[in-house]
Amino acid sequence: MNDKTLLVIEDETAILTFLRSSLEKHGWQMLEARTGRLGLELAASKKPDVILLDLGLPDQDGLDVLKAMRQWTSVPVIIVSARGQEYDKVRGLDAGADDYLTKPFGVPELMARLRTALRHAAQKPDDPPPLYDYEGLKVDLIARKVWLKKKEIHLSPLQYDLLGCLVRHAGRVVRQKQLIKEVWGETRDVTPELIRITVHQLRHKIEPDPVRPRCLKTEPGVGYRLEAPEL
Amino acid sequence: MGEVREYGFAALAVAGATLLCFPLSHFWSPANLVMVYVLAVVGVARRGRRSSAAAAAALAVLAFDFCFVPPRYTFQVSDVQYLWTFVVMFSAAMLISHLTIRQHEEAQAARASERRNTWFMEKAKRAEVEAETERLRSSLLSSVSHDLRTPLSAILGSAGALLEKGKVAGDSESRQLLETIQEEGERLSRLVNNLLQVTRLEAGGLALQKEKTPLEEIVGSALERLDSLLKGRRIDVALPENLPLVPMDAMLVEQVFINLLENAARHTPEERPIDISARTEENRVVVSVSDRGPGLQTDETERIFDKFYHGASSPGAGLGLAICRAVVLAHGGRIWAENRPGGGARFQFTLPLL
Repeated sequence: MNDKTLLVIEDETAILTFLRSSLEKHGWQMLEARTGRLGLELAASKKPDVILLDLGLPDQDGLDVLKAMRQWTSVPVIIVSARGQEYDKVRGLDAGADDYLTKPFGVPELMARLRTALRHAAQKPDDPPPLYDYEGLKVDLIARKVWLKKKEIHLSPLQYDLLGCLVRHAGRVVRQKQLIKEVWGETRDVTPELIRITVHQLRHKIEPDPVRPRCLKTEPGVGYRLEAPEL
Repeated sequence: MGEVREYGFAALAVAGATLLCFPLSHFWSPANLVMVYVLAVVGVARRGRRSSAAAAAALAVLAFDFCFVPPRYTFQVSDVQYLWTFVVMFSAAMLISHLTIRQHEEAQAARASERRNTWFMEKAKRAEVEAETERLRSSLLSSVSHDLRTPLSAILGSAGALLEKGKVAGDSESRQLLETIQEEGERLSRLVNNLLQVTRLEAGGLALQKEKTPLEEIVGSALERLDSLLKGRRIDVALPENLPLVPMDAMLVEQVFINLLENAARHTPEERPIDISARTEENRVVVSVSDRGPGLQTDETERIFDKFYHGASSPGAGLGLAICRAVVLAHGGRIWAENRPGGGARFQFTLPLL
């Protein structure tokens, strides 16, 4: 994981300082851009592995920067936004962001997002899906089998498809819209209510304490996230 | 009714003119008296009605003929000339009334359009002021939210980075100080959230985004967000399995749980548990968050939900519970506080299921 480059598009010096200190220790090289314009330039010239984009930039709307970037690159982009601005996050994810971080965020959270971004970027379409194994939950997508604490558990086909979708995106937030598309198919009329019930039932099967889920987390106002094992 | 009155006025004006003409008829020739009648007809026309002006003109001709044209006090006419006088008199009266009425109508239209214009302008001005206020408010909100959270992010991030590095955090005193920075930073961040929430609620711009949601999911994400505050505490969650989905704005109800839990944690010694439970009652869900702290004084069970109220021992800003109340009321529910048998406070709120 050495020598990976992160481009940080952010105008606050204090945040840049703490990011620089944390990232270098974890073996990342950091590029800084304080404006959206410079960010776009560096994204093109230096070809970073991941981009961290603050939505509140001085010169332009972060969403516009993201849209411009998505015209020519599929590099993972993680957007940074404050709590209470879920609408912005949703719009960012719709505009092609891979994930998001909510201010204030900590280093472990950032590192987890970066790892996930790299892993998904490295995955080729015909690679076999990896085995998911975290907090006692094990999912084998090839054998279509699920174990909780070494005991095989049985899920309904819908619950399994939902879990499968989350495993394929492990570590990344999955929006409701995306779940509908990948689990139910676009033609079906699926209510948010049905998704919530299915997630609820799934949690009761795969989480020992469903009110304090270890794996299947809710991202309020945005969607769900299956926590990823550190690889 | 107005119509009858106008005709009455026309008759009266002609009668008045006739009375006036009697003394004048001693000095003036009858032809000159015509002018008096024309004047009376114009007076009727001033009131703006064509029909009553025409009636006045006709009446005037008849009255003039009857009273002043020889032979007097008959409708007969001795001289054919007078027939021409009648025609000219009627035409002149009608023409002048017509002009008078038109002028009257134009003046009225001008006044109405001026009123309309003023009304539109006032309305436009008010809308502009409102739009400007709204713009100001939302830009203030977003800039406050950005300006407060950015330094907070830097503080929390830096403290976290130092703690992670372990070098500075090696000695236990530094570690404790760093942890304090982190904990208080997180608390400040929750306060900022509450402050923004209050501003939003007060602006009245609170559009609920209701979706049927399992309560468990909301309790779960509230517990997750308070993870560091509640660490080491026992939180007993008792949600019945058959609890129906509750229509609610998930983000706002999560905030209610966060505020109630933070409040409970502040008043309860760490070794005592906090209980969260829910039950269905007719067509609503009743949720309670209870602690084993010192409980409430009887006179504060209502006031505790007021903005900026804080009890004798409470270090809070007094916003958290006010937000809880605003959110629950917006959902059509009710929130109240009471003392718990066996000691401690219990906060309960209802959310309608329909």
